[in-house]
Amino acid sequence: MFRKLRLTACLTAALAVAALPVAGSAQELVIGTATGQTGGLAPYDGPAMQGFQIAVDEINAAGGIAGKFKIKLISKDTRSDAAQTSIAAQELIDSGISVLITPSDADPSFAAAALATDAKIPAFSPAASSPTLPMMGGDYMFANFPGDNVQATVSAEWATKQGLKNAYVLYSPDTQYTTLPLYFSDVFKKLGGNVAGEGTYTIGQQDFSAEVTKIKSMNPPVDVVMTAAYEPDFPAFIRQLRAAGVTAQVIGSDGIDSPTTFSLGAAAEGLVFSTAGHATPGSALEDFNKKFAVKYGKETDTIFSAIGYDLMKVIEAGVMKAGSTEPQAIRDAVAELENIKGVTSVITYKGTTGMPVRQVTLIRVKDGKRELVGQPSPTADLVPAPRMQ
Amino acid sequence: MTARTWIGTGGYVVFLIAAALIAASIGGSIERTLVVFFISLIAVLGMGVYSGNSGILSFGHLAFMGIAAYLSGILTMPVAMKKVTLAHAPTFLANAHLDFFSATVVTVLFVMAVALVVGVVISRLDGSSATITTLGLLVIVHGIIIGAREITRGSQSFFGVPRWTDITVAASCAVLAIVVARVFKDSVFGLKLRASRDDQLAAGAMGVNVRRQRLISWVLSAGLVAIAGVLIGHFLGAFSVKKFYFVDTFALLAMLIVGGMATVSGALAGAVLITLVSEFLRRIEGGVDILGYQTPQLFGTTQIGIGLIILLVMYKKSGGLLDRLELDEIVLPKLLKDRVATAARRSSPPVVPDGLLEAREITKAFDGLLALDKVSLALKSGEIVGLIGPNGSGKTTLLNVLSGMLPATAGTALIDGKDMTPLPAYRLASMGVSRTFQNIRLFGSMSVRQNVLVSALDKWPSSSTRSADAMVDLALETMKLESVAETQASTLSYGDQRRVEVARALALNPRFLFLDEPAAGMNREETDALMDDLKGLREQFGMGILIVDHDLPLIMRLCDRVVVLNEGHVIAEGEPQSVQKNPKVIEAYLGRKGSRQVAGTLTE
Repeated sequence: MFRKLRLTACLTAALAVAALPVAGSAQELVIGTATGQTGGLAPYDGPAMQGFQIAVDEINAAGGIAGKFKIKLISKDTRSDAAQTSIAAQELIDSGISVLITPSDADPSFAAAALATDAKIPAFSPAASSPTLPMMGGDYMFANFPGDNVQATVSAEWATKQGLKNAYVLYSPDTQYTTLPLYFSDVFKKLGGNVAGEGTYTIGQQDFSAEVTKIKSMNPPVDVVMTAAYEPDFPAFIRQLRAAGVTAQVIGSDGIDSPTTFSLGAAAEGLVFSTAGHATPGSALEDFNKKFAVKYGKETDTIFSAIGYDLMKVIEAGVMKAGSTEPQAIRDAVAELENIKGVTSVITYKGTTGMPVRQVTLIRVKDGKRELVGQPSPTADLVPAPRMQ
Repeated sequence: MTARTWIGTGGYVVFLIAAALIAASIGGSIERTLVVFFISLIAVLGMGVYSGNSGILSFGHLAFMGIAAYLSGILTMPVAMKKVTLAHAPTFLANAHLDFFSATVVTVLFVMAVALVVGVVISRLDGSSATITTLGLLVIVHGIIIGAREITRGSQSFFGVPRWTDITVAASCAVLAIVVARVFKDSVFGLKLRASRDDQLAAGAMGVNVRRQRLISWVLSAGLVAIAGVLIGHFLGAFSVKKFYFVDTFALLAMLIVGGMATVSGALAGAVLITLVSEFLRRIEGGVDILGYQTPQLFGTTQIGIGLIILLVMYKKSGGLLDRLELDEIVLPKLLKDRVATAARRSSPPVVPDGLLEAREITKAFDGLLALDKVSLALKSGEIVGLIGPNGSGKTTLLNVLSGMLPATAGTALIDGKDMTPLPAYRLASMGVSRTFQNIRLFGSMSVRQNVLVSALDKWPSSSTRSADAMVDLALETMKLESVAETQASTLSYGDQRRVEVARALALNPRFLFLDEPAAGMNREETDALMDDLKGLREQFGMGILIVDHDLPLIMRLCDRVVVLNEGHVIAEGEPQSVQKNPKVIEAYLGRKGSRQVAGTLTE
């Protein structure tokens, strides 16, 4: 019995120590990260935080932001769950952070956004691309990725230029991000194309035979299929689609910017997807990729690591402009940032409601490798307004 | 309810309030951790009300928590918010905007109604089939929440719920939950349900309608868990359907199992331990500074840690840390005995009306095997009838059929001319048929007094708990068990356990009492003492007694009449003297060869 008591006492003491507020000194910028290090978001949040860490290390090695604000990171895992995100974000806010990093998906980020707004602390999602996140999340919520509506516009414009006329879109109502194809539908129709059908699937669904049959039986035949499905749904879908003999152009979005997509062999050949950047020779991104390889001993295989790096650069620029680590000041400064040079793109927040203006990159899978299709800017009038869907 | 229970409950309440006050004064993350702890505690106590008392593990309670979180969230979310996030919700929900309290009441009632419907099915199932069905409930509700996109946003985040759960609300609800759970456990309902957990068959024979008791506790537990659901929804402000699925089911079950699910103390201990460990692990998994040394990030440690604790506790103590101990029962043992004064409440034996129990051509077949073949028998008030026969002759089967524990294949059983063949055991118990069991079936984890009280409470609520207590006193006194009244039944000696069986059967105040081998395993002195007691029973209470025993001298001296069964047939019936000389009986007992020898034994 006493042994049990002693154990309990030790645990309590340890817990109390672990729970002590860690508020930094005035010369320290405390950033709390509540990201999905385990669970479904780990393929995105994992690399994003690795890239983020590289930027933090660089900045601290150079004496901190503007040579005076050292960065201190407090990291928590949200298990890719909304409820856990809420708890982790609240704990971080309690411990006196100046900036909050939320998961790379809009859905769990909504949970953190409300808390950040109440606490008046700026919050950033590394790779959430739903434009509804800053719209619903309030003034303190920022995204760091080309919006779904922007990506969809770029893709639809490209498809139209290729002479593709009859589209089928496959989306999932399970998350905001996977409804991206509905924006594509809007733009494609505006450009004179026909949308033959809008199919739905459930995240985690492995059997797409019904959808594939529907696409195959369309008359006139579908010449472009657009989806924002990602792992494990996307590989299953495109394999089944190709196996059924459908040769239509498939367009995806940033969720499939992962090594898996390039290892699918013939099934993924010719696939085009929108993402946030491309490492052309001599580019800043190529430079970053080298740094990544040095730090982690392996090549980065996704754009999300660079996205994480860029996010820290955005925060750095904000703190520099604010000249302080005071959350409200940082928030106001970030909202006015213009032409920040990230490794993936030039980034501007000024004039937006939190969804940054950034380049969109179109990538084609060719011989199992990345091929740059282009980095076009969308026609502003065509970009659909963000909406909850 | 006893004074001790109330004092014990008060102790828990003081503990919770003290914890809440300390946390509130520290504030910040400690306060929030405690809010989550209180919510988990409410859920675990709720689950314990069902699982702890019925002994049936439930995986389904998170479904109730989920329904409650969503429904209350929809009811309290500002209408403007709903217009954006739940644009397609039905008008009456879209326009509903209730305050916290009303939303909680509406939600809890709704969840209890759902639980009632589901419970009608689940309460009919036993043990693991019930458990698996609760798992099905969890999966189905999960699917429904995802499917009901218009009001739940499917598997997307459900956000915009006002964050109204603070430490005061959480602590008050936890206090409510602990009082409800503790009071329920010692209530008439809890007592009967626990009896069925220890021995379902015996509980039925003592008049407990097991299904109804399970249903009552199921609905009540769903109500408590619903409160936890409302609180967690209004604490997080945003959640998704994942929150109410396997991971959290696992965490809450861990609290329930690690502490010991049978008791309120166990739920409390489990919730404290798991919360401490998981909060600790969750805080260090992100990496912490320990005296300048930075520990590495090891995300995922928390779940592994909880899993290891369960393994460790189950390996060392399969009943959980506290097993079946209730802290208040240990801390306040002699100080306040269950009983304050006994003498005052003693009553004279209640009057039992005369009656007649008849078996008419009862047949019982197990697949091809005919265990009873047209057996007829009568038992009058005030009569002691012996039922003998070789092993496998059908004696116990007959008792089982007559007490409603086995349905007869053919034939009828009547009480005072009324057909009672189709009635279940608990109904027969109320009609005055009581019994003991050949292989002792006591409610092992309960005290002797509680064992007897279960059957004494059969008449509750039409007769008071006070008169039930009086009945218990009488039964204990009759069987000379006063000195062991507070002892746990399973720890008694064999002979005493048999006496408890008789006392428990007596407390039903039966008109017909079946004793299945009451003297088995007793030595001569014990048997003689038992015989005196049984004779006393008839004089004192006037019931008819049907006794099965292999102790033939006992049967011969005790019984007015003897019925002999062999291979499912009645082969002889009559006064002991005539039966023991009956050649058929002698032959049945030792075959033709040894008949002379056994004749000697029988007449001895």
